[in-house]
Amino acid sequence: MYHKFCRLCHSIVIAILVLSIVGCAAPVAAPSPAPAAEAPAPIAAGLEACQGQNLVLASMTDQYVAAFRALIPQFEEASGARLTLDELGYVDLYQKLIADFVGQTANYDLMTVDIVWSGEFGQNQYTLPLDDFMARDEAELQLDDILPVAWTLGEWQGAHVAYPLAGYANVLNYRKDVLEEAGIEPPATQEELLAAAQALTDPDAGFYGMALLGAKGPAVAQDYMVWVQQHGGRILDDEGKPALNTPENAEILKFFGELFNYAPPGSADYWWDQRETAFRSGNVAMMEGWSIARAGYENPEISSVVGKVDIAVAPVKAGLEPKFGFGGWGIGINADSTPQEQECAWQFIKWLTSPEIQKEWLRNDGAPIRRSTMTDPEIVAQYPWMPVLLESFEKGDGDYRPRIPQYSIIQDALGTHVNAFIVGQVTAEEALDAAQKQVEDNWQ
Amino acid sequence: MVTTDHQISTQENRWLARVRRFRSREGAYWVMLAPLLVFVVAVAIYPLLFSFRISFFKYRLTDPNQVQTFVGVDNYLRALQDPTVLTALRVTLIYVAGTVIVELLLGLALALLLASEMRTTRFVRSFLLVPMALPPLVVGLVWKSLYNADFGVIPYYLKQMGVSVGRGPLAEPAWAMPAVILIDVWQWTPLLMIIFLAGLKSLPTEPYEAAYADGATRWSRFIHITLPLLKPTILVALLLRTMQSFKVFDTIYATTGGGPGSTTTVLNFHIYTVGMTFFDMGYAASLANVLLVIIAILSALYIMLLERQQL
Repeated sequence: MYHKFCRLCHSIVIAILVLSIVGCAAPVAAPSPAPAAEAPAPIAAGLEACQGQNLVLASMTDQYVAAFRALIPQFEEASGARLTLDELGYVDLYQKLIADFVGQTANYDLMTVDIVWSGEFGQNQYTLPLDDFMARDEAELQLDDILPVAWTLGEWQGAHVAYPLAGYANVLNYRKDVLEEAGIEPPATQEELLAAAQALTDPDAGFYGMALLGAKGPAVAQDYMVWVQQHGGRILDDEGKPALNTPENAEILKFFGELFNYAPPGSADYWWDQRETAFRSGNVAMMEGWSIARAGYENPEISSVVGKVDIAVAPVKAGLEPKFGFGGWGIGINADSTPQEQECAWQFIKWLTSPEIQKEWLRNDGAPIRRSTMTDPEIVAQYPWMPVLLESFEKGDGDYRPRIPQYSIIQDALGTHVNAFIVGQVTAEEALDAAQKQVEDNWQ
Repeated sequence: MVTTDHQISTQENRWLARVRRFRSREGAYWVMLAPLLVFVVAVAIYPLLFSFRISFFKYRLTDPNQVQTFVGVDNYLRALQDPTVLTALRVTLIYVAGTVIVELLLGLALALLLASEMRTTRFVRSFLLVPMALPPLVVGLVWKSLYNADFGVIPYYLKQMGVSVGRGPLAEPAWAMPAVILIDVWQWTPLLMIIFLAGLKSLPTEPYEAAYADGATRWSRFIHITLPLLKPTILVALLLRTMQSFKVFDTIYATTGGGPGSTTTVLNFHIYTVGMTFFDMGYAASLANVLLVIIAILSALYIMLLERQQL
């Protein structure tokens, strides 16, 4: 009896081991879908290459991800392809993409590409240059309709390593009720902005003039670079070398630091979400930020300033020719995907960025790239701030954050030392000297 | 054909004999150990050796050609001269000292307080274990919200009490380090409490009975009996927490990002920046090895102390 029991135990253990090894060896293929009761929808013209393809798209969880969620099922129906959306935070997205590219695993066929990654992705040949596809399908693409600045979302040394997807303009959001009550016009220059911020700040009432990004890391670095651009400063010199510690930049940093006197006390620790919360909760009068957040201020579920906000072009230093910070996302194709997957991925990009789909893209929280969409009467009626965006796009500067492979080194150095200046640990000159040295030490 | 009991018994005996023969050979042990050895080599030894090897190379992970240039001990020399590394090392030591000392004292106090087997203490003990069950990243994000100067609960009540919070605990250079230490203390003191409770439960009762008979006070019993007997447990707890504290990353990543300035940039966070932001893997590997050596030396010291206690 004992032996029988032992044999039974041995059999169970062996069975478990075998099953676990088999289970680990390879994912079990998904069962093929049962034949549909109804006939499948006909494949749309031009999308035949996608029939039966399985693609994965890695997307940043910005507002436009809602538009992906809404439009991908339409694409799947039209093309017969299956497109899986993987939504990732900024840092996660970047690191997962790099791991995918370096390991040549091609887990992602399509990916959203931040404007500042284009240099790195282009130089390292991570994403497929789209120029051949673009030349082949030029007749269908209506390239002239895409605003010139939008091409910075993925252009690197003459090649298109990502296609324009979502253009953001740096704009000035302001509380029209507060400014009207105080008799202040929306600031047109940086000097007026500072004066308005000062006049509108009332710490006893818990109300502040500006909301700013001050947290160590990308947040404060990117906000500081916006101010460098608005004051005519530069991050790189004429030879493309880092020039962070110029006297002009030190003056700009002091101006940027002064604005923090009129920002909520916690601003020195604000990331994008906290800055948005400060503005949406009605604690601040003005905020410069990406235009994609504008629609959210009219959503009563997340905003207590519905109907009280207006936007203007971002103010620049008096006397400077207006140029506005431009950013956003391109969409790229993995260079390691198979040619069939790349072809289908390109069909998706072409479909998504076509004028017809772009209107749907915008209505579902996407961001524009085409002039025709931004001037479409229906769209303008729905989003009355579109003309301000168009003006910002037309005079947009997509290179105020250097789109070079070493961008992360610059961002990290500024992120540390500008933050140290904001919290009063060092002077503006010391901060920029330290940042310059850190960049030079790590420059590759 | 009818199988008799005798035949089954013979078959079983043969099978058992084969097993015995197999077991008697030394090779059998290797066969049984092999899966574990393969696992350890694959997930621990190989990465360690790889990291040791690339620390002697200039190796940028994002290089499309994956070029690795031998640079000898240059990465280690660079680490010793890098002001960021020296600052990070100083910050790490402050963090480790702060967390370990506070947790040790609090853990011991809690263990003594909750050592009795009453219904209330049992409930409190299990309740105190909750922070340990949470991932450090989640803990960091929750505390970041609590600390927020404008919307956080902690600054709100501090303001109500008339205390100025300035830019908030995480953005004030003087408060950022105590603030992140407090998070670690909140999460990991229960672990030390559990270790000390186990230690207290295993203490012999005779010395206490003798001390009680001699009229010793509670304090002198604690100083002269409990503490000396608990020394090995304290050293184990010290060893565990020091090693964990040196490796802190998640909490810093989720709360301050090493800021303000470099106030909370611990060595592990700096290694992450070099490795995962600059992708300078050779240099990051050399920094990781420096951290490994520091932890190894401290661990060896503790273990030597522990062994001396047990002699």
